[in-house]
Amino acid sequence: MNFIGLFSALDTSHSTHAKRDALVEFIQTADPLESALGVEALTGRIKKNRLRPSFLRKTGMLGFGEQGWLFEECYATVGDLSETLAILFANPEKKPHFCKPVLAHWAAQHAALSTIDAEEIPGRILSHLLQLSKDEAFLFLKLSTGGFRVGVSKGLVHEAIARATHIDRAVIEERMMGVFNAEPDWLEKLKTPATAEELDARPVPFLLAQTLSAEEITKIDPSDVIIEYKWDGIRAQLIKTHQITRLWSRGDQDITEQFPEIIAAAQKLPAQLILDGEILAGSHEAIGSFNDLQTRLNRKRITKKLLQTNPAFFRAYDLIRRDGLDYRDSTLVERKDAIADLQVSQSTFIEPTTISSIQTMREAARAQSAEGVMIKRRFGLYQSGRKANVWWKWKLDPMTADCVLIYAQAGHGRRAALHTDYTLACWNDEGNLVPVAKAYTGLTDQELKQVDKWIRAHTINKFGPVRQVQPLQVFELGFEGIARSTRHKSGIALRFPRILRWRTDVGPMDADQVSHFHALMDQAYDV
Amino acid sequence: MISKNQSQSDSLIIKTAEGLYCPKAKAHLDPWRPVDCALITHAHADHARGGSQKYHCAESGAGLLRARLGDVQIIPHAYGEPFRLNNVTISFHPAGHVLGSAQIRIDDGNSVWVLTGDYKRSHDPTCEPFEPIICDVLITEATFALPIYRWPLIDEVMERIFSWWDSNIRSGRTPVLLCYSLGKAQRIMAEIQNRSERSVRVHGAIAALNPYYERENVSLCPWEIVTKSNQKKSSDLIIVPPQVADSAFMKQFQPAELAMASGWMQVRGVRRRASINQGFVISDHADWDGLIQTIQESKARRVLATHGETRVLTQYLNETLGIQAERLETVFGLADGIDQ
Repeated sequence: MNFIGLFSALDTSHSTHAKRDALVEFIQTADPLESALGVEALTGRIKKNRLRPSFLRKTGMLGFGEQGWLFEECYATVGDLSETLAILFANPEKKPHFCKPVLAHWAAQHAALSTIDAEEIPGRILSHLLQLSKDEAFLFLKLSTGGFRVGVSKGLVHEAIARATHIDRAVIEERMMGVFNAEPDWLEKLKTPATAEELDARPVPFLLAQTLSAEEITKIDPSDVIIEYKWDGIRAQLIKTHQITRLWSRGDQDITEQFPEIIAAAQKLPAQLILDGEILAGSHEAIGSFNDLQTRLNRKRITKKLLQTNPAFFRAYDLIRRDGLDYRDSTLVERKDAIADLQVSQSTFIEPTTISSIQTMREAARAQSAEGVMIKRRFGLYQSGRKANVWWKWKLDPMTADCVLIYAQAGHGRRAALHTDYTLACWNDEGNLVPVAKAYTGLTDQELKQVDKWIRAHTINKFGPVRQVQPLQVFELGFEGIARSTRHKSGIALRFPRILRWRTDVGPMDADQVSHFHALMDQAYDV
Repeated sequence: MISKNQSQSDSLIIKTAEGLYCPKAKAHLDPWRPVDCALITHAHADHARGGSQKYHCAESGAGLLRARLGDVQIIPHAYGEPFRLNNVTISFHPAGHVLGSAQIRIDDGNSVWVLTGDYKRSHDPTCEPFEPIICDVLITEATFALPIYRWPLIDEVMERIFSWWDSNIRSGRTPVLLCYSLGKAQRIMAEIQNRSERSVRVHGAIAALNPYYERENVSLCPWEIVTKSNQKKSSDLIIVPPQVADSAFMKQFQPAELAMASGWMQVRGVRRRASINQGFVISDHADWDGLIQTIQESKARRVLATHGETRVLTQYLNETLGIQAERLETVFGLADGIDQ
């Protein structure tokens, strides 16, 4: 089986068992380099933007010549650039091969694309597509941009590797952490235990928290836990060996290069250390917003100016390794004790006496630029993954506002051809509706279908794929944070906006004013 | 032939609250409200509605029309046989969409207008092939008027259906194919019959229409209606209309594997949103190439596009092919979502 065979099996199944079995078969029967490259892709390790998506768009434009608009129409309907190109430009005469390895060959073609002149790339892509069937072309393009998702979790891939190798899944998960070298001997390497040096450099699976609701809080025994703020940043492990220092994110990305000041500050720390903590914007004394931090990601080069305008620091709250010793089987209290002497920003914690002291801390979270509180068992061990009754997160209730739907656009991927991307607006002082946020999630599939139907029947204008609708429907919008913005007409930017409910009980005149958002902003930061 | 200063009064077909209307014939075309005289392109529910006094249709479609509308006055016409209606000559011509589907040609001696209704250019063993007609004004459907819609060969699709069918039988699952009960289901059954000795079981909505096909000498594969007594019978494909996919009816087939046969299956996201594992691209509508071919063969000087991607089609005709084209939005055209 090659990667095309695997994809075809994964894509035509909704059953986790069937997907897992297909993965096992792939790992066991594929050419070893094919399976290495396949596992690299499935675990999200492909370098993003091998080829920038803009080149795919240019390829479509080239293929359509003067009818570029027609390509845009196709893309708007399909909702996926790679699929649009595959449908339009793959060779209908070709049949996909399900055995012969393809990934190494494709990777070479992708690499070759980066060596030719930019103007020649679209033409070269078109000629590649002519050699491929539709399914092959789709995968070829998906892999070229690194935007490859196939509805298979990393956990399922690990499970499949465990079954294929007869090694315990926890061991596989551990060994799959960190950098993965897609080489033909990857399975042999995986079967060999790591050296001490390798262990020092390798991140470990994060301990994840359960979500706690207001009702469940009563189940907590205050004397059994400690609490600290839930910081609004990027969860990461700071790893220091004798040779290197690096940052490994919860999203399993090496983000060392994005935060040189954190690496520099870590020189004060001893080697053979792995800390678990949060990368935060600002400084230990004054924490900035997540918005400020976001600017630091997705940048190819971190300039001196950016380091000044958007500084970041690492706040530690847990210990995984120190002096080469694994602390994961120690209790939280022991682990906290063992980092107390380190010269690094640390999260202060308190030992609550009552439930209400937990509630008090949670209420103070917003003023501390935190998004809630973490409740952690004093004697809990550092287990891997989301384990019950070890850590709980109790977030602040989201801020809310009632907004009017003004534009809608078809979604992407699974939601293409259904209008699911909404632009929501509130009233400004002049009595006009100004957009405040785009929301993509929050409604049930059933509601999405109903709203989609309504949108189609109440469209007053179309701008390509975007429909302007009659401003009649009101949605309650929830969001985690709010900041001033010069980019948006309304002057505000919301963090993680999503729809909480469809307010069929009120009319557009009942929607909120811009002043409502300004009041929320004052509460969040100026108090 | 058409004059240079054409006005609405020269139009053989105009838009009214009841739907398209030919004033000179005093007849409506596929009206969606009750009228005196209705000319019907085919029996699908969005084209044939009840309550009118009189229905003209193609002869081979009369049975299906009666099945859908009940005891109404139907005047059948053989394909290509002209008849007079008030001041114009009308004839029905094969549209290749489903059994008895027709294009409607209207000639008032000065100009010829053709309403295609729904049509396709690919082969279909259940109906007469589409007949190209030369005309002055062509009113065409535009359901799949985007270049992403190019249909694969039916041989390839049937091969895929058979291999999907067999692999499910081997793994002990029931293959259930979702498709429209009028037209698509019978087309697939006829294609199965042409290639194999396989048999199917069908939902009652499909079974009710099969005899009309058999009466027109369409050769379907052996079929039975799904009943309680035959539900354990293995190796058959189950064919049901999409509406029952989420209903209790499906429970009897567990463990089942769902597939859908439709032109919409061309787009992966559409299939995945419907939570359907397997999609087969089979459409009873013209694909992009079929639409353009038909428009060019008609030699029409003016094209009106109705139903579906009318905006894209008319822009392409005007800007790229230099054919005068306008959108003709109907009630159904407004809700240009996934319907028939």
